[in-house]
Amino acid sequence: MKLQRMLTMAALGLVISGPALAQSELDLVEPIVEYKLYVTERTSQLVDGVTEFVDSIKAGELEKAKALYPFIRMPYEEIEPIAELFSDLDVAIDSRADDYELAEVDPEFPGFHRIEYGLWSNNSTDDLDEVADKLLADVTELHNRIEALTFPPEKVVGGAAVLMEEVALTKISGEENRYSRTDLWDFKANSDGAYKIVNLVRPLIVDTEGDFLKAVDANFDKVFTTLAKYEKGDGYVSYLELSEADRNALSAAINTLAEDLSTLRGKLGLD
Amino acid sequence: MENENIKTGLKRRTFLGGIGLLAGSCPFSGLALATPTATQSPANGHITDAPLANTASPEDRVPFTGLHQAGIATPRPANGMLASFGVIAETPEDLEDLFRRLTARIAFLTVGGEPPQADPRLPSSDSGIVGPVVRPDALTVTIGLGVSLFDDRPWLVGLKPARLARMKRFPNDALDAALCHGDLSLQICANTQDTTIHALRDIIKNLSDRLVLKWKQEGNVPVITPGPDGLSESSRNFLGFRDGSANPDAGDESLMNHLVWVGAERNEPEWAQNGSYQSVRIVRNFVERWDRTPLREQELIMGRARNSGAPLDQPEASEFDVPDYAADAEGLATPLDSHIRLANPRTAETEDSIILRRPFNYSNGVTKAGQLDQGLLFICYQADLEKGFIAVQHRLDGEPLEEYIKPVGGGYFFALPGMRDDADYLGSTLIAALRKAQTQQS
Repeated sequence: MKLQRMLTMAALGLVISGPALAQSELDLVEPIVEYKLYVTERTSQLVDGVTEFVDSIKAGELEKAKALYPFIRMPYEEIEPIAELFSDLDVAIDSRADDYELAEVDPEFPGFHRIEYGLWSNNSTDDLDEVADKLLADVTELHNRIEALTFPPEKVVGGAAVLMEEVALTKISGEENRYSRTDLWDFKANSDGAYKIVNLVRPLIVDTEGDFLKAVDANFDKVFTTLAKYEKGDGYVSYLELSEADRNALSAAINTLAEDLSTLRGKLGLD
Repeated sequence: MENENIKTGLKRRTFLGGIGLLAGSCPFSGLALATPTATQSPANGHITDAPLANTASPEDRVPFTGLHQAGIATPRPANGMLASFGVIAETPEDLEDLFRRLTARIAFLTVGGEPPQADPRLPSSDSGIVGPVVRPDALTVTIGLGVSLFDDRPWLVGLKPARLARMKRFPNDALDAALCHGDLSLQICANTQDTTIHALRDIIKNLSDRLVLKWKQEGNVPVITPGPDGLSESSRNFLGFRDGSANPDAGDESLMNHLVWVGAERNEPEWAQNGSYQSVRIVRNFVERWDRTPLREQELIMGRARNSGAPLDQPEASEFDVPDYAADAEGLATPLDSHIRLANPRTAETEDSIILRRPFNYSNGVTKAGQLDQGLLFICYQADLEKGFIAVQHRLDGEPLEEYIKPVGGGYFFALPGMRDDADYLGSTLIAALRKAQTQQS
């Protein structure tokens, strides 16, 4: 197992023999290798999912496209901080109508949420072929770029907090998926993605940051337990069914995680 | 025959100076400061006087300890904010944790000092927006509890203040759910807006696991340069009129005990004594339309002269002189439906509905219709919510002023009693009552 990891690391160009790395960075090599494997697995799933999604749109299968939408977004939402390293692609794939002067009718409005708008607000797959093809091209490009990317450690570790900030910024209010009301899927995926990072670096801080990890685990537990109340089938109920009390509980847990995880880079000695 | 003090609060205008703040002689020594006096009796009891230019100092310090919370009978500084939160507290222990940690932040922020320095690779403990050293700047942070905090928690509901209720819609209201109610309110006031924003950000950062921000409204009041006579005057609101002229004298302890502070005779839970009911209303003013209204009509609607604030039956008087409604029973001078006459008819029967107002003007931006979104962040305090604000508002329902104003938000809260000393915390009497109730049950 150890040997296999070393080989993977070598293949990924992550075993660097040049200028000496700080101990903290050496400690991070293995978690980052594992994280890269995780991310590329997710982008591979993303390409597969979007392919099926685009096929259903072009075949005019409205209900199928609607059913696929929240699921196929999840791999993207899990690894969003890495996708955001390529801002051109992040904008093309996941920007919202608010980002455009003419909002939904702005011809520039692309990606997932443009299609979401068509499927739910217009209740139709009409006129989506072009934007769907572009989405597939963009997620494929994302996958290829990520495969070739050397992951910056501070972006990986900082990604845990970034994911919580994403939830705090637009998911908790239901603004992200405002046409489909599928925000709880995103919520779960963002949280899973953040927890993945915490678990990868956990061995590095388990002896020194016991209280911190205990608090972080408790808040993740609160998020997952609360979300579990809203599971339906393989997914979730509409965001609109989230109670005020649970929204408060989630908001507090997410914001506290964002506060706590914002210290993770520093705790690992990363600038 | 008439008790002028009850009717007007202050018979005479008061002189500037001694604005009721402890000048911070050693603001950076943290909690080691001597315990302030137990009651805060402002030298100037007219708390809605306009703040005077060039008198506020960043070192102004309002004691955070005392029989009552600061920020109620405290002279109103130039800037204020009302923030409303959802509370995360599933047990009495959670609620105690909230009160203790919130008190610790209030203690630090109102006394001032240097926030702890962290490793620069970590996020800073302080936002830095007021510089490396936090100065008190007359900051007060006043905690109020909403009825939902009690109603949503079976272990707390039995200790609900007797008159605390969810704010109901009045006929002229157009309430926006996103600007109403809340489990807990913080009224944050200071000399400068930066200090209020700094305090809010500090509290949000430090209590993210207990407090979820729901809405906030900021406001301010004009700072004036006193005239040659050195006399003070009430701040003007965005309708151009002086607001607060008839406020009761906050320096008069027995008057405050009668009108503002919950006392033993109120039939309230014991823990609530020395607290007060807080009513908050976000009242939009249709300023364009108001500005297109003849001055005489404006004055008849308000019941005062716009320039001087004088009551209409005494045009040469000042804002602090008292209208003689008995001599004007038909409302020839001051119309019977004018704002000030309905709000405070100055009769024996309406004496108990006198409230302590502490409002701020707000200016938020532009509506979709291209009109200014301006108005009044109305905040008032009273010992009995029903006899106070609710009774006053019912008298005002249907007043001619309604054509120019639209309440869009707010809520009712119960401002906690004060804390005895540095070792105490805000909310301790409620937690003690909870413990007592638990012991009796077990």
